[in-house]
Amino acid sequence: MKHFYTLLSFCLYLFSSTLQAQVVTHTQNYSVNDVRTGYYAFTNATIYTDYQTKLEKATLIIKNGKVEAVGTNLSVPAGATEIDLNGRYIYPSFIDLYSNYGVVTKGYSGNTDGQFLESPDKTALHWNYAIRPQLNAQDLFTVNGGDAKNWRKNGFGVVVTHHQDGIMRGTGALVTLADGKAQEVLLQGKAAHFLDFDKGTSPQDYPSSLMGSVALLRQTYLDADWYKKATDKKEYNLSLEALNNTLSLPAIFAVEDKLSLLRADKVGDEFGIQYIIKGNGDEYQRLQEIKATGAMLLLSLNFPDAYEVEDPFDAKMLSLEQLKHWEMAPANAAMVSKEGITFAFTSNGLKNMDDFIKNIRKAIEYGLSETEALKAITFTPAQIIKAQDKVGSLTQGKLANFIITSQPVFDKSSTILENWIQGKQYILKDINDDIRGNYNLSLSNGESAKIIIAGTPDKLDVKIDKNGTTQNADFSLKEKLISLQFSLNDQKYRLSGWVEGKNLKGIAETDNSSLKWNATFESAYSPTAEEKKENSPIEVGKVVYPFTAYGNAEIPKTGTYLIKNGTVWTNEKEGILKETDVLIKDGKITQIGKNLNANGATVIDATGKHVTCGIIDEHSHIALANVNEGSHSSTAEVRMGDVIDSESMSIYRQIAGGVCAAQLLHGSANTIGGQSALIKLKWGFAPESMKIPNADGFIKFALGENVKQANWGDGYRTRFPQTRMGVEQFLNDVFTRAREYETLSKTKGAIYRRDLNMEATLEILNQKRFITCHSYVQSEINMLMKLAESFNFRVNTFTHILEGYKVADKMAKHGAGGSSFADWWAYKMEVKDAIPHNPALMHSQGVVVSINSDDTEMARRLNQEAAKAVKYGGVSEEDAWKMVTLNPAKLLHLDSRMGSLKAGKDADIVVWSDNPLSIYAVVEKNIIDGILFFDLEKEAEKLQSVEQEKARIIKKMIDAKNGGASTQKAVGNKQREWHCEDVVDWFKEKQISEEYIKE
Amino acid sequence: MKSILIYLMLISTCLFASQTKSWAQNPAAAAPQTKPIVIKNATIHIGNGEVLQNAAIRFENGLIVAIGAGIDESNAEVVDAANKHIYPGLILPHTITGLTEIQAVRSTSDFSEVGMFKPNIRSLVAYNTDSEIIPTLRSNGVLILQTTPRNGIITGTSSIMEADGWNWEDAALKADEGIHMNAVRFYGYNFFTGQMSKNESHDISIQETERFFQEALSYSKNTNISTKNLKFEAMKGLFDGTKRLYIYADFAKEILESIQLAKKYGVQKIVLVGGNDALLVADFLKENNIPIILERIHRLPIRNDEDVYLPYKLPALLKKEGLMVALAYDDFEPMGSRNLPFLAGTAAAYGLSKEEALMTITANTAKILGIDDKVGTLEKGKHATLIVSEGDLLDMRTNQITHAFIRGKKLDLDDKQKRLYQIYKQKYASQTK
Repeated sequence: MKHFYTLLSFCLYLFSSTLQAQVVTHTQNYSVNDVRTGYYAFTNATIYTDYQTKLEKATLIIKNGKVEAVGTNLSVPAGATEIDLNGRYIYPSFIDLYSNYGVVTKGYSGNTDGQFLESPDKTALHWNYAIRPQLNAQDLFTVNGGDAKNWRKNGFGVVVTHHQDGIMRGTGALVTLADGKAQEVLLQGKAAHFLDFDKGTSPQDYPSSLMGSVALLRQTYLDADWYKKATDKKEYNLSLEALNNTLSLPAIFAVEDKLSLLRADKVGDEFGIQYIIKGNGDEYQRLQEIKATGAMLLLSLNFPDAYEVEDPFDAKMLSLEQLKHWEMAPANAAMVSKEGITFAFTSNGLKNMDDFIKNIRKAIEYGLSETEALKAITFTPAQIIKAQDKVGSLTQGKLANFIITSQPVFDKSSTILENWIQGKQYILKDINDDIRGNYNLSLSNGESAKIIIAGTPDKLDVKIDKNGTTQNADFSLKEKLISLQFSLNDQKYRLSGWVEGKNLKGIAETDNSSLKWNATFESAYSPTAEEKKENSPIEVGKVVYPFTAYGNAEIPKTGTYLIKNGTVWTNEKEGILKETDVLIKDGKITQIGKNLNANGATVIDATGKHVTCGIIDEHSHIALANVNEGSHSSTAEVRMGDVIDSESMSIYRQIAGGVCAAQLLHGSANTIGGQSALIKLKWGFAPESMKIPNADGFIKFALGENVKQANWGDGYRTRFPQTRMGVEQFLNDVFTRAREYETLSKTKGAIYRRDLNMEATLEILNQKRFITCHSYVQSEINMLMKLAESFNFRVNTFTHILEGYKVADKMAKHGAGGSSFADWWAYKMEVKDAIPHNPALMHSQGVVVSINSDDTEMARRLNQEAAKAVKYGGVSEEDAWKMVTLNPAKLLHLDSRMGSLKAGKDADIVVWSDNPLSIYAVVEKNIIDGILFFDLEKEAEKLQSVEQEKARIIKKMIDAKNGGASTQKAVGNKQREWHCEDVVDWFKEKQISEEYIKE
Repeated sequence: MKSILIYLMLISTCLFASQTKSWAQNPAAAAPQTKPIVIKNATIHIGNGEVLQNAAIRFENGLIVAIGAGIDESNAEVVDAANKHIYPGLILPHTITGLTEIQAVRSTSDFSEVGMFKPNIRSLVAYNTDSEIIPTLRSNGVLILQTTPRNGIITGTSSIMEADGWNWEDAALKADEGIHMNAVRFYGYNFFTGQMSKNESHDISIQETERFFQEALSYSKNTNISTKNLKFEAMKGLFDGTKRLYIYADFAKEILESIQLAKKYGVQKIVLVGGNDALLVADFLKENNIPIILERIHRLPIRNDEDVYLPYKLPALLKKEGLMVALAYDDFEPMGSRNLPFLAGTAAAYGLSKEEALMTITANTAKILGIDDKVGTLEKGKHATLIVSEGDLLDMRTNQITHAFIRGKKLDLDDKQKRLYQIYKQKYASQTK
């Protein structure tokens, strides 16, 4: 029996050249050999052979599923079926690179509660379930008739489909949307490799944050490289092997916003990979940076619905960002295109696939050229996956994948009539003759009227006109058969009929009689003024940086300022100077003294005011996408610098509180957290340009209740360590292993697995990276100092350090600084002995003391927190002030350029209305790196312009709603505010949040 | 075995206590005033906006008997407060202080009872006079607290407590004086993602709340009750005006809806707590004579686009609208509420005069809570509940409390934190010798 099939298959193979659209290796059940060549000639059509080549009155000839010829002077070959498409249009069918068509997600579906340190898949794969480069969509793909129909209806011919789950998702397959067998429609098994930051269904705790995902990607690329090169490896790893085999494919990275787009590109750059990036439609908000990535983009067409804003209370819930994005999202593609960025569109993210073409038309109304639009759904996607030889244009040898439309495809009234895939016809709408025009109707009972047939050939709009009074009539035309219903003189008429030449005729029924009717053609259809109207591109507001309230219309620049006649707190040996001037230029302080010459500088009168350097927050979690990678006990490999959120309102609120710089720390959920980012609060700048250049590296450590998961609930009792005893051993082990790693890495010729966790740890031991350690009780503080000493390094800073006062002498001797809260205590067991005199006592013992916030709100009142060192413990005002300026600069190794007012230092300057330690002091100016970022005088104006802009868009939104736009409820979004104890699985939380909103 | 352990622990605690004087315990409650006291040569801030320069105050048996110039010093203990300032004892409304010690430790928290409607739950009986947090509040001038249960829709009954006393009975200034309600929320909020969403259970919750008020009102009119309902018993005072209803709401719609609801069922005295959007509905609040307790104005704006300083400016903006405003701290940090005077300082930095700002933590609060016949201002006949500070009370640079009296009782201003400070100061002093 088996032999029989093999033989049959062989025979079929021999005949394959004559069999079209049938799988050659497959047996099948048929009566006679129904071989069709699919030989067609489409004549008289307007044909776009590619996005920029338009042929009028042209002919397309296809055979065996491929284009045989296309041109204007072709005759119909013998044997070909001619289809006259006079007045119709042919385009290459659309391509979507981002889909999961026919691929069912095989994600993890078990319980995800509690600690999950290992992968649920125990085969020889990557240790992390979110890394699955071994998955190939081609292995999972089956034809899904229902979905395919929906794709075809919207003009698509092929898609790249992939398994949409996890960080490394494996390869995607290029498939057509024909309804044949999988073997027929699969064009290219591995068309691209797919990635995302979201770990998807993986139940594993790691990664639980965006920076964890970035770190995992980095390590995986390194592992793959090692796996390829190592000769003596102790594992056989299917995932790494698969990854190495996919590295040559185009890599498509999906991200959730513009900043993650930049993030993804940066990771790619580190490994010489240029990702193609699928964004979320907000690219226009950081266009220059995105252009600089050089990445090709997949653009979303998911434009937000208008909000229901008629009720002013509801409208107040919406942020300017939400309103502006509603207005500007349709202009995204035009703006991206204007920058010369190569992009393709994707339908991914649309609630309704029917919006695909509608929203492209909308993008065109907002300024995108039709040529670019067509390119983005035909040529570019083909180019991205290097499949231009198959799809994306209609020239000889390409797949016969095309659509026939009633009008130019981007006309609002255009309809896709047919979609041909691999030479196979899918009729979406009947192609009718154009019967539009005015007719004189007469019925056999003597009644007469006019029939006016307008609209588009495929969506006719029919009216009955009796002596100038018109009514809409129910009308349908199928092939040449007509049905028509209307009322005249209280009589209902139901008409059936047919087209006969130019006229119409048929039979009619009323409620009580049978009649005949005919309608003679009187005059041709002429479009009404409204239908003719050409729209000019729609105007939208301006992009602001960052894209939120108080954003800058332009990124601000450095100025030359003379701050005159203020009380100047130098933080230098000169102390507090009265009636003194400060001159700044090119981002630096150039001179401090009396009666300085302005020399063209902008003068800021500080008479009666106080002038200081900007506040530096040693412990901050603002402007971060996430705070804790709280999964493993050491996540030294994660970098907060990967997840800076330049759009955070906290930045603006804090410059309004006199802050100029901050250490953005990892949280305290694990013993070794991530690497810090040191930034200046340059409002409007992109993440990378906020970072302080050439700053030393820092890393977060944590001790005590958080790292032993004391307050996490009963599901968290297994991660080592669970006690302060265990913490010491954990650290001892990590340091020991780092030394061993160093030995290995220094061995000549050794091919070793680069370990980013170990490398960061080793930097600590070698005093190239410095610890900021979350700590509370004296035993743990002492422990870490002793342990560090035994490894011959020093702890740079203990942060929080609320029992630092008990071991201040030991800290001073060790050389550790203390960065404390001013007066927090009693919120958990390990802070029951905290006292507000802690900064004063540590200071008295010679410890470099700073006062930090760890709190988005408190950070804008750090001057007041410093004043508490005066109140509790009697520190001098000058020394107290240093606790939020010079001392944190020292702890961050930035004191050579920041933290005091001295010629040559960074021009980070705050002008206060009063003594900066006073509760009554208000920030009047905040200058960072010589750039005036906050000016109290301009605040009212700024607030007003926010309100005006919102009012403008709200009016527009109400008009849109009245014009029939679909809407959504007005629900706002709020600023995320992180504390170092916020432990959350970001990806799981997002899912919950999204599901909630969907409900 | 277990009992032996406990016994051993008790012994060791006793030994420890006897060795280090009053270590880890609070100072004893203050003794009643036995002798007249005169504090003189001070700047006296009455609490109603008036300031007396170089003035004196005399109090006897816990009550103020004279204030101003030329005060009789006979038989009195005289305190010279030259260059110092006298203020009314500060009042902290709407707090869980005394109901929790260390919030992360569940066993120390007693502010959140189960259930959605529980007006019968009384904070009074759980108020812990031995809390180590309370003395730290006294040290900054806070002498009176409205201690309040949390969570649910009707959260419970509050009492006004003094920050001193051997037990809650001693410390009660006005027992069971108000019922607290959380307005039904229009919006949900995911803390981690920042996403807000419509509260889908809003309508059901409102209906349940209406029913509760409706039935409580009917119950209060019934003179012949056969089955007692403790919840409805507790609600009675709202309808006859002996209790206040404190409604916690921030968004405009929540404010309007919840106050309308309470009025519909005849609640006599309503106070708005929170009130971020009070400015948007200022006319409504004014017409209905609703005062506002603003929660911790040292906070961020609740909407992204709001004026960055809006919370700081609210006291002045609301006052300008003719509304009465008092300041509170908030749920999260009882230990932080010692910063109450600095909230007023911020209100002064952003629009109020210093004396107006002082009113928001003294006179206004007393009026809003209905205790202005006893406290809130330094006037003849009122309680001698007052503080003396080295300098401006509202500024941390100068806030140094040297004396505090509650009903004339002189408080020991020691607290756990000061003791630890002294111990380690001495430790380091002895090391340098």
